[in-house]
Formats: sequence, structure tokens, C-alpha cells
Amino acid sequence: MQAALTPVARVKGRRPGIIGWLLLCPMLLWLAAFVVVPTLILAYASFTHADEDTGFPVYRRARSDGGTLTLENYRRIVLDDDGHFLRTEQEEITTMDPDGTERITGTRSATVIAAPYLRVFGNSLLYAGITTALCVLIGYPMAWFIGRASERTRNRLLMLVMIPFWTGFLIRTYAWITILATDGLLNGLLQYTHAISQPFGMLYTPGAVVLGLVYSYLPFMILPIYGSVEKLDYTLVEAALDLGAGPLAAFRKIILPLTRPGIAAGVLLVFVPAVGMYAISSLMGGGKTPMIGDVIQNQFFTGRDWPFGSALGITLVAMFIIAFALFAKFRSSVTDSDDTLRAG
Amino acid sequence: MKTVRILHRLLIAAVLTLAASAQQKKDVLNLFCWSEYVPQPVIEAFTKETGIKVNVENYDSNEKMLAKLLAGGAKYDLIQPSEYVVESLIKQGRLEELNRANLPNFKNLDAKFTGMAHDPGNKFSVPWMVGSVGIVVNTEKIKDAVAGYADVFSGKYRRRIVVLDDNRELVSWALATLGIPINDISKDTLAKARPVIKGWLPQIKAFDSDSPKTKFLKGDVDIGIVWSGEAALLWRETKGSGKFKFVLPKEGAHMFVDSLCIPKGAAHRENAEKFINHILKPEISALISKEFPYTNPNTAARALLGKEELANPASYPPGEPKLDIFKDIGKTAREIDRMMTDLRSR
Repeated sequence: MQAALTPVARVKGRRPGIIGWLLLCPMLLWLAAFVVVPTLILAYASFTHADEDTGFPVYRRARSDGGTLTLENYRRIVLDDDGHFLRTEQEEITTMDPDGTERITGTRSATVIAAPYLRVFGNSLLYAGITTALCVLIGYPMAWFIGRASERTRNRLLMLVMIPFWTGFLIRTYAWITILATDGLLNGLLQYTHAISQPFGMLYTPGAVVLGLVYSYLPFMILPIYGSVEKLDYTLVEAALDLGAGPLAAFRKIILPLTRPGIAAGVLLVFVPAVGMYAISSLMGGGKTPMIGDVIQNQFFTGRDWPFGSALGITLVAMFIIAFALFAKFRSSVTDSDDTLRAG
Repeated sequence: MKTVRILHRLLIAAVLTLAASAQQKKDVLNLFCWSEYVPQPVIEAFTKETGIKVNVENYDSNEKMLAKLLAGGAKYDLIQPSEYVVESLIKQGRLEELNRANLPNFKNLDAKFTGMAHDPGNKFSVPWMVGSVGIVVNTEKIKDAVAGYADVFSGKYRRRIVVLDDNRELVSWALATLGIPINDISKDTLAKARPVIKGWLPQIKAFDSDSPKTKFLKGDVDIGIVWSGEAALLWRETKGSGKFKFVLPKEGAHMFVDSLCIPKGAAHRENAEKFINHILKPEISALISKEFPYTNPNTAARALLGKEELANPASYPPGEPKLDIFKDIGKTAREIDRMMTDLRSR
């Protein structure tokens, strides 16, 4: 078998035989039954009306009632009740007095996105974006350090990265609550060391949400970058340094392009789940800023509007598909730069 | 060889379990109830007495229960909805009528909590526990007198407030402040409530329906509007020292009545009625109160409670407070969701 494989065939990729397809079958069936079919049902439901009592999708409706299908759910995502996309409104300006009470000192007008649900998408994307950026900034040096360490140290450090997974995600989040609470461990420590005189509220702030997100998703950034760093041929970096490149130029021109697939994978692994996450915003943020995950859930329960929930879900899936497409483009541009590197 | 032996044993165990469950099929009760609401000893006593095995499944909001129930699939014999859900389920004809002859212990209930608006003749529901939504104040941090919603949101306690993460609750408080009946929910009244809630939101530190008491105990908040049961637990945890005071808002408060009901087409109706009658026994009902200190609607059970339990002002508020139950609002729920998402997402 091995001998029959000519180098040409290897480059072009061998077509999978019947056995290959058979082996793939369970996974394809799984995907079809639990991903493709449900998504199609969701997509269909997103174009239906909701039942008055239960909020379930009405899959069949008389033509006299306006027919079964409608674009109303998507219209409600993008526009507000009056059909506006943007809206100008008066905002109060508050200032903090020295004694800590806030006063309204004036108003200014601001243009905001009118549709509430679109703003929720915006919030979720913003949080996910900040989280991803912080994960790259913190995770890259860590991954580099782990990847360049001796094999013994490397394995131990990797172990440390993975240890948090031994405990449940919720338990780890509750641990943060214990640390950050007003009467919590961190405030206690700071007061004990006289760093502060009064405990200050760290929990239930946007900062706490970002902290929780970065903490939860950091390993998903470190591991793929580590993979790239470990494979990186360090002689290339040495060559660059020998040929007169400064450390910064070597990093920008050699290290960064070669570890870019790792970064791209890490970004995807952090950004996509961070957009859909909801437990952290309610546990560590006090549920003040609704995240798209919470809002979608609400449509199926308190909101009693399954078709609208489906439309929100489909919009989220569409966003992920776009993210994947961009990711694929990023990957291919990496391959291009690999080629230029070799050609040069 | 060892693996084979283990597999063999597992197989035998599986077959035995299957056989046992087939045999017991008649003697089960599928109970779908709130989490943290039905104490284990209550279920154990029932199984011991009747031989009926109870399968428990939990939910944490009425709406989740409804979604599961209406989606079909799982078959439940007994559910535990709140009053406005009972009302809507009756309207939709989704509940079985109860046979009062099988519920001799029904007489133990306080007449105040029977024949209520959501089910006038208690044909479909039997009250489990009653509670309300009120204000909790940490009196060590806040010395002012707090009597109603307007006091909580006076602006003095910015970012020290916890409220239930429940949009309909917030709307009902705003309506009560405006003197509008809390069940009068329409586009018109929502438009009036909107600026009130808009003024409240920036003052709130956290939304929490699950365990707001923890935030009080950890010092993250000093004042809040929460379930009376949470307030009762706070009172109990501080041994009634008066650190946490419970106040029913003077503008009027929401009272909830959680009841036991049998969904239409339940397979084990008789067992369900046996269970209802079981929890109406004074000693069993008192057991529930000891674990979860809500207001017990069972007069005979209250007689069995200790002085300490009855003195808990969050369980048994003194005086004649102004309390209202929620009515089913159907699709207006969507308007609330939309308005609150709009206000909260900025």
C-alpha cells in the first residue's frame, strides 16, 4: 500500500475509497441528524408566526390569516417598532460627586441602533471581541514560553494549562464570585494589607464579565498557538537574526506569519463560543447587559415566541458562517505568504 | 477475561433493572416540580406509605415547565405551576379535574388560599406554598425607613440594589408605583411604565432570581426586591437578629400561589391524587415549611410549626398587606420582553 503511493498522488491527495466513506458514515449521519436537520427546522420556524397561547411556531396557517410564512421575525431583529434602523435620543450625563453619589449634570444627544435585539448582538460581539483580543495578548507570550521550554518543563506547563478543565465550568465561575465579592477574598486581602481602606465592588461590573470570559477561554487560545510555536523551525528565526533583522523585525516577518494558523484557530475557538455564552454575564455581570444567548433563551420561555427565537438563532448561525469564511480566507492568505517565504 | 466478566455483570444488572422497572410500572408517579421546593423526606414518606416510586424532574421557571409540558414527549403526572400558569392551563383545557373524594385532607387548607381567582372552585389545583415579592433591607448599612418601591429607587442606593431577574416583576412594580393595577398590561400602560423603569435600571447592581440572598450575605448589595422565601432564609440565617428586614411594599406586592395540578392525559392520576392528599397532611406539610420557609396555606400544619418559624416576618407577614396575584397575560409577554430588552441593552 505504502509503496504504491507515489509522491504525486500524495500532493494531490488520495480520493477516499469505499471503506473511507463507510468509516466516515457514523459522523456524517450524526451531523445530518443532530446539526443539519435541526438547523433546517430552525430556519423554517424562523419564517413562521407564533401561536397565541403557547408561542410555538404555527407550521400551517390559512391564506386568509396571511399565510404561513413571514419575514416579520427578521424585520423585528433589524428595525424597531416604527421601522427605524437608527434613532437619535437624549442621554443623561452623570458626574460623580466626591462623596460617591452621582448627579445628572446635563444631556447630550446620541445616535443609537434603534432595534433592541440588534444592540444585543452588538453587545455580545463587543464582549467577545474584547475577550478575544485579551486572550491573544495574554495567551501568545504564554504559548511562546511553553513552546520554547525544554520538553520536561513544557509538559508540566501544558498540564497546568489544562488543570482547570478538571473542575466544572460553573464551579470555577462561582470560585471567582467568592474571590471578587465585596466581602470576598481579594477585598479582604487588600484591606488586610492596608492597600485600600474601603472594600470596593468589583463583581457585577462589565470588567468582571470580561475577566470571567478571558479566564474561561484562555486555554483555547494558548493550546493552538502552542501547537504552531512548537512546530516552528527556530533556525529560520536564527537565520533572520544572523542576516541583520532586529528582534522586532524577526518577530513580525518570521515568527508571526509562521504562528498565524495557531492564532487564527485560537481566535475562532475563543470568539465563537464567547459570542454565544450567557452564564458568565448573569453570574459575574449581575445580568445587567443582556447577551444574545440570554435573549434567545428568553424567547423560548418567558417571551413565548419560538419563531422569533429561531430567527435570532439563525442570525447567530449566519454570523458564525461568515466568521468561518473569513477564517478560511485568513488561512489561505497564510499559505500564500508561506509560498512567498519559500520563493524568497 | 476480567473485562468480559465485568461486561457480563453489567448486562445482568441492566436486564434486572429493566425487569424491575417493567414490574413497577404501575406504581410510579412522575413528578415535575420546582428545584429546591419538594424536600426529600416528603417523597420518602410517600413511597414508604404507598409503595409508589416517585420520579422527580425539576425546573427553575414556570415558562420552562410550560415549554416542556406543551412540547409533549415526556409524560408527567403532577406539575407545580404558579397561579397565572394554572389559569392559562385551565383556559387551554390542559388540566385534569381533581376528584375531591380522593383528597379528604383538603379541609386542612386555610380558606384564604382556596377558591382564588385563578381556579375558583379548586377544581384543578391545590395550593402547595404561597409567597410574595418584597423588599429586603440590610439595616446595618441602611438606616432610613424603606416602605415601598419608590424608596428603594429614590436614587440614594445607586448600585447597591439587587432585583429579581424577571421582566414581568419589574413591570408590575413600576405599575404599582404609578397606581395602575399590576395585571393591567397593555401597550398603553407599558408606555407609562417605561420611563419609571428607565430611571430604575442604572441604579441596579445585579439581577438575580436564583439566589439573591447570597449577594446580601456577601455584602455586594444592601437593599433589594426579592422572593419572600429568600428573605425568610436570610432572617433564619441571621437568627432573626433583625439585620435583614423584610418589608412588603406599600404600593402593593405580588403574591404567588404555587399549586399541584394533574396535566391532561396523565398516566397515573390516582397516584397523583394520593400524593396531593399526602402533602396536605399536617405533619408532611410542616416538613416542607421547615425546609423552605414560604407561607404555608395549611392551617393544621401551621399549628405544628415552632414559635420561631411563625415569628419569621417574611414567611408570615404581620397585618393585612395589599397583595395581588398575577393573571395570565398571553402574548402581551412579548411586548414586555421587547421593552425590557430595549431598556436593558444600552
